[in-house]
Amino acid sequence: MTSDLDIIIAGGGRVGFQTAEILADRGHDVTIIERDDRIVSDIADQWIATVIQGDATNPDIIEQAGLERADVIAALTGETGLNLAVCLAAAELTPDIRTVARIDRTGGESYTRFVDAVVFPERAGSRVAANEIIGSDVQTLADVTGNLDIMLIRVADDAPAAGKPLSNVRFPEGTLVVSDANGERIARADTILTPGSSYVVAVEPAVVDEVMHLMRG
Amino acid sequence: MSKSQTRSPEAELGLLDATMIGMGAMIGAGIFVLTGLAAEIAGPAAILVFALNGVVTAFTGLSYAELAASIPKSGGGYAFVREIFDDFASFIMGWMLWFAYMIAGALYALGFAPNFLELLHVYGVVPPPDQVGAVAVPVIDAALPLAFLLAFVAVLGLVALNAVSTAASGSVETIFTIIKVSILVVFVAFGLASPMFSGAEFQPLFPQSSGAAAVLPAMGLTFIAFEGYDLITTVTEEVQNPRENIPKAIFISLAVTVVVYLAVVTVAVGTLGAQGLADAGEAGIATAATSFMPTGLPIIQNGGALIVFGAVFSTLTALNAVVIASSRVAFSMGREGQLLPSIGQIHHRYGTPFVAILASAVVMLGSVALPTQSAGNMSSLFFLLSFVIVNVAVIRLRRERPNMNRPYEMPFYPAPPLIGIALNLLLTGVLVEYLLRTDPLALALSMAWILLGALVYFALKRVREQSDREQAAAATEITPEAED
Repeated sequence: MTSDLDIIIAGGGRVGFQTAEILADRGHDVTIIERDDRIVSDIADQWIATVIQGDATNPDIIEQAGLERADVIAALTGETGLNLAVCLAAAELTPDIRTVARIDRTGGESYTRFVDAVVFPERAGSRVAANEIIGSDVQTLADVTGNLDIMLIRVADDAPAAGKPLSNVRFPEGTLVVSDANGERIARADTILTPGSSYVVAVEPAVVDEVMHLMRG
Repeated sequence: MSKSQTRSPEAELGLLDATMIGMGAMIGAGIFVLTGLAAEIAGPAAILVFALNGVVTAFTGLSYAELAASIPKSGGGYAFVREIFDDFASFIMGWMLWFAYMIAGALYALGFAPNFLELLHVYGVVPPPDQVGAVAVPVIDAALPLAFLLAFVAVLGLVALNAVSTAASGSVETIFTIIKVSILVVFVAFGLASPMFSGAEFQPLFPQSSGAAAVLPAMGLTFIAFEGYDLITTVTEEVQNPRENIPKAIFISLAVTVVVYLAVVTVAVGTLGAQGLADAGEAGIATAATSFMPTGLPIIQNGGALIVFGAVFSTLTALNAVVIASSRVAFSMGREGQLLPSIGQIHHRYGTPFVAILASAVVMLGSVALPTQSAGNMSSLFFLLSFVIVNVAVIRLRRERPNMNRPYEMPFYPAPPLIGIALNLLLTGVLVEYLLRTDPLALALSMAWILLGALVYFALKRVREQSDREQAAAATEITPEAED
């Protein structure tokens, strides 16, 4: 049993790459499949994921990404049809893999008949755009946090920090546990990290991995 | 702030830091501890031994560079092999590498002890090391040898330090390495200028009894001195622009290390003579230094003390590096579910892979009881074997994943990994044959470790399957309610 996931991302463009970066920061193993030479070389410079260069619908290429060992495949290219094809092919080759497809219109929920989850990045993007346009004092989290990750993390049963009061856990610098177990109070030194409960935690990207190790095991 | 204590995360490392981590491990203790032992086997050809080892290891260096640039994962050889091979093969790789580092730890601790005694001797605190042994003889029956105790205490101290605080950052390592190299440069400079060196006698190059063939077992013994670049690839995630800097760091550190080694060994053999070096054993370089360095200096009194200090300092920092390296290998194996999950967890209070460090400490402390030469042999044996696997991994990865992006591709593929495999296997064979003749205990212990590994692997697999079944059973019971 390992708590880190083995994830394949098809499409290393804007969405695919950002997603890979966040996942790699959290300590997961990411492999990206990307066709475009230039993008492949950009990703290699960032050194966050192994890159397989080629067409993600080609079974030969998906296999090279280590499909038989992967927990999740996320098809995040700009073409809905291609994404569905990649997910279906992957599910055919490895039946218990979790599949996530990026779609390009609202109401694409019906696709969940074929894949485990759908993503519609434009919706999140338009929320951010609306916030910017109004320029209001109240903004959604996704917008204001910049590089910070503000996350709701559920403490795993066998995690090193499980059952310990906050004062007893030495988090890396750049971590802030914001809420207590029920999200009703701000966390204090004597707040217990109860296994199974979720906590709002603000984390800098550099130490997300380590915070995950402490809270998720 | 949420009123809990914090620690700073490690800084980003540049090319210089990455190179220094590699050099720090390679120039660490090998040169101080193993030169005497190599001279004992190969005579003045010890110079040749280190040069040839540099060549052998360069082929595997190419493989490491290619793997590190294309697989963005820290964790060194184990992480790469894990990516490519099935469960059992990658487990054995990790298991061997873990052992290689732990035994290297014992070796450095054993090298630390006589050098530390020599340092005390230089300042007149204790009689010369050989007499310390003699004085202690009547006591040994009841108590433990002093050197063994010192080695034990050194391991214990560094393990405790690493267990409760996060590793020293790369910049500290850089300073340490610069100190070590400077001390060696001073050694070489004084050695070349000394009258003893002008009358140096490198003939006969090979020992009369065994001839040129003596070079091979000596290569096997000292191979461990070049294991440092595995260490560079265990910290890759912290290095800036790794696709360029990791291959560069590997090659630069290897090249500089070989040059330093050759200079130091040449001076040591030239001044003290191969026989003198051999007699001094683990404290060979330190003894050579005391023989030609100027005396009567202010504060340090004796120029030799500087080199002896370098030896003590090097063995300690190298010991520290392998305590970290061995626990990282165990930690990655724990995270991958290949050892007990608790080994793959960081401690909630110390933020260190606490259990992984303790597990490594047990083996290290146990191995301090070994003779230095056995520790060197066993560690070299396991590095040779794991380097063979790393070279195989490169070939397999090229065949199975031809479309994988490789920011660094080695020249003249497939020659380098094939030559690497052949040379590493040759040295393994020579070493095993040599061990059969001279040190069957080391060989038996090595076999025992591999057998133990196989046992652990299958036992853990059983436990995992059982808990998977129980979970599956529990899941099917809950499902009807959960779907309501």
